[in-house]
Amino acid sequence: MNIKKVTVIGVTGTMGANVTGIFASFGNAEVYCVGRDIEKVKATIPRIASSVKAGSIAARLIPADYSMLDECVSKSDLVFESVTENIDVKSEIAKQVSDSLRGDAISCTGTSGLSITSLAECYPEEQRTRFFGVHMFNPPYSLPLCEFMRTEYSDDSIAAELKSYLSDRLLRTVVEVKDAPAFLGNRIGFQMINEALQYAERYKDNGGIDYIDAILGSFTGRTMPPLTTSDFVGLDIHKAIVDNLRSNTSDYANDTFALPDYVQALISENKLGRKSGAGLYQTVKYSNGLKRRTVYDISTGIYRDIIPHAFPFANQMKKNIAEGDYTEAFRQLVSNRSLEAEICIGFLLRYMVYSLYCAKEVAFTCEAADDVMAAGFSWCPPLAMYKALSSVADVKSLIKERIPEIAEKVDMDELLKDLKPSKYDYRRYFKSGR
Amino acid sequence: MSKVYILGGAQTDFERNWTKEGKNMVALLREAVADGLQQCNIDFDEIEALNKENRIAAFVGNFIAEKYTEQGHLGAFLTEVNPAFYGVPSARYEAACASGSVALDAAQTKIMAGEYDLAVVLGWELMKTVDSATGGQFLGRASYYDKESKGVDFPFPKLFGRLADETIAKYSLDEGRYMEALSKIAVINYANAKRNPLAQTRSWFMSEEQARQRGTETNPLVGGRLAVSDCSQVTDGAALVVLASEKYVKEKGIKDKPIIKGYGHRNAPLLFDKKIEESAGSEYILPWTRQAVLDSYRRSGLTVSDIDIFETHDCFTSSEYAAISAFGLTEPGREYEAVESGLIDFDGGKPINPSGGLIGCGHPVGASGVRMILDLYKQVSGEAGRYQVEGAKNAMLLNIGGSATTNYVFIVGRE
Repeated sequence: MNIKKVTVIGVTGTMGANVTGIFASFGNAEVYCVGRDIEKVKATIPRIASSVKAGSIAARLIPADYSMLDECVSKSDLVFESVTENIDVKSEIAKQVSDSLRGDAISCTGTSGLSITSLAECYPEEQRTRFFGVHMFNPPYSLPLCEFMRTEYSDDSIAAELKSYLSDRLLRTVVEVKDAPAFLGNRIGFQMINEALQYAERYKDNGGIDYIDAILGSFTGRTMPPLTTSDFVGLDIHKAIVDNLRSNTSDYANDTFALPDYVQALISENKLGRKSGAGLYQTVKYSNGLKRRTVYDISTGIYRDIIPHAFPFANQMKKNIAEGDYTEAFRQLVSNRSLEAEICIGFLLRYMVYSLYCAKEVAFTCEAADDVMAAGFSWCPPLAMYKALSSVADVKSLIKERIPEIAEKVDMDELLKDLKPSKYDYRRYFKSGR
Repeated sequence: MSKVYILGGAQTDFERNWTKEGKNMVALLREAVADGLQQCNIDFDEIEALNKENRIAAFVGNFIAEKYTEQGHLGAFLTEVNPAFYGVPSARYEAACASGSVALDAAQTKIMAGEYDLAVVLGWELMKTVDSATGGQFLGRASYYDKESKGVDFPFPKLFGRLADETIAKYSLDEGRYMEALSKIAVINYANAKRNPLAQTRSWFMSEEQARQRGTETNPLVGGRLAVSDCSQVTDGAALVVLASEKYVKEKGIKDKPIIKGYGHRNAPLLFDKKIEESAGSEYILPWTRQAVLDSYRRSGLTVSDIDIFETHDCFTSSEYAAISAFGLTEPGREYEAVESGLIDFDGGKPINPSGGLIGCGHPVGASGVRMILDLYKQVSGEAGRYQVEGAKNAMLLNIGGSATTNYVFIVGRE
């Protein structure tokens, strides 16, 4: 597939800008950068170049506004829509694009939540064969995941060509998934994150938000603790994802997608997380340059200093991981029966089970769950987690013993049958940090 | 004298930042040892058994952990990896960025002499414990520190920037043509690294356009005419290989393992000025580098036409450029021909750095020599996966310390 010219619509948004960087760098494509305000688009160009650390691509980025959309689209081999997550807005854009889309051109949406099939149906029938969902994760330069969705209208040979373009030229970890709510990565990731938010409420008297983050820190196979991640992503975006999953999926984990009231309250006060200065956490900056990181206390409704939680199991694990003794770290996790260790292992097991469960429902292989969690979240992927825990326990028995409520709902023999070994090395994901 | 077999080994993923992972040198060594021994089908019980008969030793290459991690006495650290190393003779070897090679040399000598039957060679460096300016100062200790590096920001890029200047002057090169060749060298290394699943830069973007735009915000100049795209990386990592005697290989019935066919080791004058002064009378800009290559050809009985791939010490594009004629791929002064013709490309007939080299794969300084010989092993054994060069029978590495002061060359090939 020879993609020389690309139009990205909605280029001033975070994803629009970053996806543009990927097409212009690895794809070596000339990109028409379309936004509402051409001055804002021009101001975005340096940001696009720095997203891939290459000023040289700026020469291939052509600023445009919607008045120039027809011209841009008519010249493009591929059109990528990255506008706001609203079906009416996207359908309006689709109509405009379809007027000037060349017969041999590809059209994609970057939507993270809307139905690809519904969006395909915004195009005339003959153009639906060449329409796909291409969902990248932010920032794509360091998170190579690209979820790929086709529809019943798609032409399979074009789908195959586009997938190899995405993987071979753009160096994406391409995972084909079904046109299901929130697709695969966010469904798995935000299940855990939202359940962690629910646990923060349940254990608000133990500390709440910083308490749960301390239990599920980077020593449990991730870069950032889950509630810190939600704060980083933005609570409004978090809400959009979990509301979608709550309403439009119906599996055993459905209740875990219910947004806790305190999060809704923060959103109503426009405390959306890092981007708005306050959310689950708040960093207070003083005039003398000092910074103080505080956390929202669910019980009192005020921001307070973070409690330096120190749990014996976590301290021991971090010590073991610092010296690369992973087996000893996992042994501690499994053998320590404190409340915090129980919460921790419960989360890891539920994450593993739900990942494999969703992969069966939404993807075409178990390994898809591994790819999405490693390449989209930098979390220890489920099959690697399985291997890690297998070094100290029989994982199936552990599941039945520690999360019996899930073991009752899911056929574990079926789920864990013929698991392939992970291609990911679990060691790099378990860190000795917060 | 015994032949020296390479049984295999492993390197850590050079993309990893062990400081960010909150892990220390013991964690690094544990992973390298576990993976390397497993790859060679050697377990800790066998190490204990061999050690009872004093048939095994360990050789650790590291440049400057005293600065990066506040730790010396590095040979002793294998005992922290596993109790199987209690009692195993082990020491640290140092020759700046050629530390891995000097450890290899010590190991092969003991095997050749029949002193030991198995040698575990482990090179490592943790460099991300400090910021790049501080690390640059640490690396300055590979020069004559007081005279060349003290108080200088990033002394090594500057020294290799001077190598670029001196190369242009010595051969009256067209500056544009020379810099074009350096850009292409960088791009080849980045492109090769895309095939290497353990390369540091495998997910990074680089293009000729980007490499050429020196002195811009995303490709700033760091040493004279050299920019960031001309530099190797600051890397955390370890590499391990296991060398074995003929006796061991026969005892175990091991077949088809490559051998070390030859080596060269020469030291040039330490000070860069003296190097250039001395080389005025030579056709070569780095005559002692050339001599180390010639020594390895002599010892192996091979010539440049027998070598199918090269792993070179591209700490900077200017050092890879100089290595091209040192290997004998072109006449001195005409190195650009091998770059322009595509000879050194991955599929160009005489590929240099199919692994991505120090620019693409990464450069944990004390590990690099060992990483290179591991890559030669993989290539001639057909185990290099996506970066396999088809049909490689003999391969050469050049590992240098300082401003091409210590020069080490090894040739590895099938028997």
